[in-house]
Amino acid sequence: MMKFFSQFLGGALLLATGPGSTVAWAQPDDFISRWSGFWSVRFDRAPSGAALLDELPDDVVLIDDAGGGELAAGEYAGLKLSDEALDAIRDYDYAEELLPENACRAPSVAFYMQAPFPMEIYAGRDLIIFRMEYFDLVRIIFMDGRAHPPADALHTLSGHSVGRWEGNALVVETTHIVPGTFMNNGFDHSADLRLIERFLVSEDGSTLSATQVYEDAATFEGRAARYMSWSKRAGEYVLSYDCDPNYGG
Amino acid sequence: MTKLTPILAGIFSLALPVAVPAHHSFVVHYVGERIISVTGVVEEFRFRNPHGIIFVNGTSSDGNSGSWKIETNSPNILRRRGWTDKSISPGDEVIIEGYPARDGSNAMRIFRVRFADGSEMIGQRPSADNE
Repeated sequence: MMKFFSQFLGGALLLATGPGSTVAWAQPDDFISRWSGFWSVRFDRAPSGAALLDELPDDVVLIDDAGGGELAAGEYAGLKLSDEALDAIRDYDYAEELLPENACRAPSVAFYMQAPFPMEIYAGRDLIIFRMEYFDLVRIIFMDGRAHPPADALHTLSGHSVGRWEGNALVVETTHIVPGTFMNNGFDHSADLRLIERFLVSEDGSTLSATQVYEDAATFEGRAARYMSWSKRAGEYVLSYDCDPNYGG
Repeated sequence: MTKLTPILAGIFSLALPVAVPAHHSFVVHYVGERIISVTGVVEEFRFRNPHGIIFVNGTSSDGNSGSWKIETNSPNILRRRGWTDKSISPGDEVIIEGYPARDGSNAMRIFRVRFADGSEMIGQRPSADNE
């Protein structure tokens, strides 16, 4: 069923939007079953993904808040923020977060991947889909060699993602992300954020790890990163989030 | 030029950092390093994302009496721990431990709830699963 779904996704995408250049398909036969399925967030740093951490450039600032950790107001993991970002933080009103109109305001992919909620992955040759439980968000990773759209194209919470294989690692570059919270403490990223992710499934297929590397000169100097891990669980599935803005009113 | 101005302004504003209200953070609004308790009777239990809410008429370990608004982490997370929308009912006598609101109001985020029969359910353990 999963294999059929993945092949269908690949075909549907080609018809709907058209691929870029042909991409070599060099993944093993068990690729779909290894990557597809239900992945539950781990609250530790899975050692099987240590290679991803080792690959991070030395100048990257690691944000240690993945899997449910949070940074307090005024803490930015050691990043040097731009004057514009600091001005925006000074104007930020935390009390507004509690208003019904903001209760269901979903974060962008620059923050929602680290949330303590599971996801389902549907992996195909030309398309990989991440179905996130958090706010019912969906990511589409184009694997058909297409380029990003023009810079002024629509920006969205999940942005525009193109992926490629580097050995066993899935490398995803995402642009066109609508501005949103970066650390859930009043510090937002801009629409210029560029995101590079590397995903790796462990040898035994039980653990998925990933790094996200961020560049956003409009809000901070240099580069920042997060490290995340998930465990595969058979028989489980993503629940509807169905956010109710009046949950507390 | 007149027609170009709003277009340029739109593109320019996309690149500038903005302050968009986000779904609220746990650590910004609650004191994660301190646990208080509220003893009382449940008035209402809502079990909807992004957070469940337990309204309790009771008294806190700090001596504050009245109506308390006690937030749970996401019902999706709690469902996987056995919670349902029937886990707590109006009229239940409870002792709820949790993390006090930073603004000093009669509000907190739940750690666990204990019932009169001695049973308990875990909401959010210290330093974990803040949603």
